[in-house]
Amino acid sequence: MSLASLFLRYGCINASLALALVISVVSNGRAEEEWWAFRDCVQPPLPSVQATDRISNPIDTFLLAKLEERGLTYAPATEKRTIIRRLYFDLVGLPPQPHEVSGFLADGSPAAYDRLVDRLLASPQFGERWARHWLDVVGYVDTVGFDVDENNIILGTDKWRYRDYVVQSFNHDKPYDRFVTEQLSGDEMIAWRGAEKYTPQIRELLTATGFLRTAQDFTHEPESNIPLIHYMVLHDTVEIVTNSLLALTVNCARCHDHKFDPIEQEEYYRLQAIFTPAYNPQNWRPVFPYKKELGERGLPDVALNRSAEIDKRNRELDRQIDQIKRDVADLRKPYDELVFEKKLAKLPEQIRSDTKKAVRTTDEDRDAIQKYLVKKFGNDLKITATEVDAALSEDDKKKQDELRSNSASLDGNRPRYGRIQALYDVGPPPTTHFLRRGNYERPGHEVEPGILAALSQEGTADLPMLVDPLGQTSLRRTAFARWLTTPDRPASALLSRVLVNRVWMHIFGEGLVTTPGNFGEQGAKPTHPELLEWLSAEFMHRGWSLKSLVRWLVQTSAYRQTTRRELPVPLAPAAAAVSDSAEGSSSSGFLSDVELGAIDPANTYLWRMRLRRLESEVIRDAVLSSSEALQYEIGGPPLLLKPEPDGKIVIDTGKLPTPDAQWRRSVYLLARRGFHHSMMSVFDQPSVTTTCARRDSSAVPLQSLTMLNDAFLIEQASRFAKRVSREAGSAPGERIDMAFRIALGRQPNEQEAHWCAELLEKQTHAFKREEATAEEIEHQALTQLCHTLLNTSEFLYAE
Amino acid sequence: MNSETQDFPANPQTVIPSRRQFLADTGLGFGALALTHLLQADGFSASPRTQRTDLTPKPPHFPAQAKAVIQLFHHGGPSQMDLFDPKSELQSRGGQKHPEKVESFQPGSEPNELMASPFKFSRHGKSGMDFSELVPNMASLADEWCMVRSMHTENNNHPQGMFMINTGKTFGGRPSLGAWISYGLGTANQNLPAYVVLRDPEGYNNGGSRFWTNGWLPALYRGTEFSSRGAAVLNLRPGVELPKSVQRNNLDLLAKLNEERRKLYPTDTRLEARIRHYELAARMQLSAEEVVDLSGESEATRKLYGMDNKATANYGTRCLMARRLVESGVRFVQVLTPVKGGRIAWDHHKGLKKGLSLMTSLTDLPAAGLLKDLKDRGLLDSTLVIWTGEFGRLPVSQHGNGRDHNRYAFTLLMAGGGVKGGYIHGATDEFGYRSITNRVSVPDYHATVLHQLGLDHRRLAYPHNGRPETLTDPDVSRAEVVQALLKKPAHI
Repeated sequence: MSLASLFLRYGCINASLALALVISVVSNGRAEEEWWAFRDCVQPPLPSVQATDRISNPIDTFLLAKLEERGLTYAPATEKRTIIRRLYFDLVGLPPQPHEVSGFLADGSPAAYDRLVDRLLASPQFGERWARHWLDVVGYVDTVGFDVDENNIILGTDKWRYRDYVVQSFNHDKPYDRFVTEQLSGDEMIAWRGAEKYTPQIRELLTATGFLRTAQDFTHEPESNIPLIHYMVLHDTVEIVTNSLLALTVNCARCHDHKFDPIEQEEYYRLQAIFTPAYNPQNWRPVFPYKKELGERGLPDVALNRSAEIDKRNRELDRQIDQIKRDVADLRKPYDELVFEKKLAKLPEQIRSDTKKAVRTTDEDRDAIQKYLVKKFGNDLKITATEVDAALSEDDKKKQDELRSNSASLDGNRPRYGRIQALYDVGPPPTTHFLRRGNYERPGHEVEPGILAALSQEGTADLPMLVDPLGQTSLRRTAFARWLTTPDRPASALLSRVLVNRVWMHIFGEGLVTTPGNFGEQGAKPTHPELLEWLSAEFMHRGWSLKSLVRWLVQTSAYRQTTRRELPVPLAPAAAAVSDSAEGSSSSGFLSDVELGAIDPANTYLWRMRLRRLESEVIRDAVLSSSEALQYEIGGPPLLLKPEPDGKIVIDTGKLPTPDAQWRRSVYLLARRGFHHSMMSVFDQPSVTTTCARRDSSAVPLQSLTMLNDAFLIEQASRFAKRVSREAGSAPGERIDMAFRIALGRQPNEQEAHWCAELLEKQTHAFKREEATAEEIEHQALTQLCHTLLNTSEFLYAE
Repeated sequence: MNSETQDFPANPQTVIPSRRQFLADTGLGFGALALTHLLQADGFSASPRTQRTDLTPKPPHFPAQAKAVIQLFHHGGPSQMDLFDPKSELQSRGGQKHPEKVESFQPGSEPNELMASPFKFSRHGKSGMDFSELVPNMASLADEWCMVRSMHTENNNHPQGMFMINTGKTFGGRPSLGAWISYGLGTANQNLPAYVVLRDPEGYNNGGSRFWTNGWLPALYRGTEFSSRGAAVLNLRPGVELPKSVQRNNLDLLAKLNEERRKLYPTDTRLEARIRHYELAARMQLSAEEVVDLSGESEATRKLYGMDNKATANYGTRCLMARRLVESGVRFVQVLTPVKGGRIAWDHHKGLKKGLSLMTSLTDLPAAGLLKDLKDRGLLDSTLVIWTGEFGRLPVSQHGNGRDHNRYAFTLLMAGGGVKGGYIHGATDEFGYRSITNRVSVPDYHATVLHQLGLDHRRLAYPHNGRPETLTDPDVSRAEVVQALLKKPAHI
């Protein structure tokens, strides 16, 4: 393909990408007032509240203050059996087992809840649950390239190590500032280039930079390894970094100054310059090798000298194997001739030599007669490997076998190494240019690496540069990470707010800022600005500990409220006094639905806990937990997926290490840009372009069809029923009781037990047939009950 | 923002409808269920319309000419100069050099030599519209077709071209035309999805389901695949055979348990939605299967679609299903041609004569049958039928007997739905390389389709990442409704 056509092929993507970002003329009316998200974080004093008995920690004080301003207060605490289920889903993404529920219910000590929280925070499943949240934010996938064809899955070698790094980081409660720093500059934190041997720490730090490798990069195709795509990767990377860490839409400043937020186009390119020494458009490493000499972006997972040795050894092996191939060919050559001559002999003698000559001539050089001869006799003269094998003498056959087995054993004993999909400076920093209208073909002046002036204490966009004594890396990303994480600066304040808000969203169902991916002017303002400031300062000053943050949130009385509306909300005393004189208020001291609806219909202020639908992964994992099929093994390569002829995307069971591996947790399912496991996509696992700050939580009919009819559900329901019979014996009442406790974490009430008993009877009747044993029929009926419980709203929503 | 009833992406100014409002919505069917939000206009300059995100019918912006769309999609880039756009210069100068070096995509076109079409053209109907000998059945309906010869697009690679024609931009992640229409208008039949895709059960086209994506629109606007073989909808039937009453018994218990739960959350519409969805699941088993059950169709109808013939039965079945779906109130049906010619079946880089003949032999009769049938049943006036691919092909030869991709010109046909029949719009240059007269861009085409459904492409917007996004992005694309194609004056 010519360069011109390459350009033309991609030139217009560029044009339309650039144009897509163009927002028409702005009257530059920048807000004079400092935007809340760009301020230093100052911890406000605690407000005073009346319902002091509901204060579990200062967070409650802030929440109650807002409620009391509106004449509201918290709903009563929920039941123990509900809170344990809620906590399990939020912390580890799994439902509690019946014995765990009964243990908690039986523990009457006041510390029981705190102990449960600690136990779950310490559980290895915590990291799996929370890693999935982070993987959404950074747009993690296991594949490379466009990933637009369901049948064509191009795996990035060992990309999953980054996923495991995130799981481990959360499990070890790595301080968030450290976590961010490692992901931005792990390669600059340790001297790996000259290391004799990779320590686990070197591997970890290099793996961390996988964060910077999530942009859509398809430079594994020669025709895509062009500047247009190089710049696309750079642009996406700047977008992912700034959006995931700072919830800013910096990408809007690619073609023009940001329309709403104080971000200039110049600053955009100064940010880009932080990444050009690694993603150097003039010295590009393809994401995946298509040509040996170009290398690839990923690093060997062993020290460079070691991988060089291994490569050398393998080249030597290749040489030996090639030699054996030639020896085998030499050995067979006379037999090839023999077989050929035998076949040739069947042709009329007059044309034998001409035909022989014709077939031995290359196609281009054949004249018309030769072409005719080949067409006519070529097939008859073809010799097959089997024919030659048959012709070999005993001796030569032995020799050949020996050679081949040598070759196989050489090949089988190759030393190997894996990959770390890292980002690192590929050489000295190139010059970085301002791009007019975001177009790399219209470079403007040169820019130095920089940051956002609006977020710098000094009000300048200069990034204080560092110098690597070894001269191996620019340390630009290290400087950037330092700027972001230095406490008590506007940048770290925003970094902290954004993370605190994300965690809040996962615990309470909605962020304090409801646009977790946009803290700019177009985003929502915080519902509880003082609380967000207080909590962000607390998080930053108390060691950036994610587990502590989660612990604070789940220890609040707010979190432990009931989700139900049936309980009337008592008025806070002061407000009640006001309300008493108001016309039309209820005399009971409780708010009616209508009154409540007028004050805070959307429950913005948390006068009860929010009822939340489980995420796709949690639903599948909860099903597997009910059936006890769930495998708890942590980490490793993803479970591969494949499309079925009917369009469903399922686990590729032909490619599993063990059959049971298909029951591993959903975080290990192959992560693609689209074409997720069907159950994941129907329950809103997002498609991945750059980042996803907030998932949809839809309720569509296909979800019901999936839960009712999908073969996975049917199989798990049957396993679930077997478990129930095993644990509850044969009495229908006991079985119903156990099935409820497993699926829903509670016992059925009398009415429900009665309905379920009816179902068992009806289904027993429906399945009744001559050839089936009573036991089989009972199992089938029980399977239906179990399957129905997995379909209930109660199963799908964390109360 | 509220998560109590919130099922879709947040809008800071969401209004929570009252329960009465909710029930009024759901009274229309299952639809309102999921989502009961009024996404308010956000003061965006384009003042996007207030739009509820559910599937209940929505009023159009102005009176619609069409209620439904059937898009016949020919993946690969069907050759316009061998089907719809005869070029006498090309025919007489075959073998000579094209005067300028054409933009090719793959190797093989380097000699830059014109290749005459191996097919004969003739004029048809009162309008005298030209069709090649490959599509005699489509030609027999010349006076129904509105032929746009001056289409052009932005990229000559398949994925980018497919994204462009389906979503309005050359890159992935955006909603497709059908998703926008479902979002804008909802659907008339609450027992069926708004947007249905009918692909060859033998396999996907390249790129598969990415081309009926909802992008960042809520998931209920995604195209739902209906299979023309076996179960109509994924998971419509249990994965194992069950005695007849078993599922009914389960659903009865489920309804009772879910109703108990709902009572605990009387204002939470999601729980009500879920109850309705299980009812719908049961109804859909009937509706969806009814709609794809072609056994009630007469012999004559089956013949009209070529279902009596092995070659045309594959595509004919889907064309007939498309009619039945539209008849049942489905808003947008995307019909994909057979994959017998490959996963990019209309991509004739070599062996064009044989390859294109094969594809038209499978599709010409059913496409014409669909048009005739719609007309006979009085459905054509309210149904916009579209015949298109993602781009065109070059006038020069590739490998001596094929043609490479061309983004500068292709032909798109429409019929029904208020477009002019027997009308040829625009023209290409003497060889068919570039569209030169009355050029129509893909966003213009999208604006026109939306217009026929009563939607203003500038106002049908959805807030995404801080920007009111539209299908056509008119500030950038300069998209305009193509008045010349329409029977009646445009509203915008």
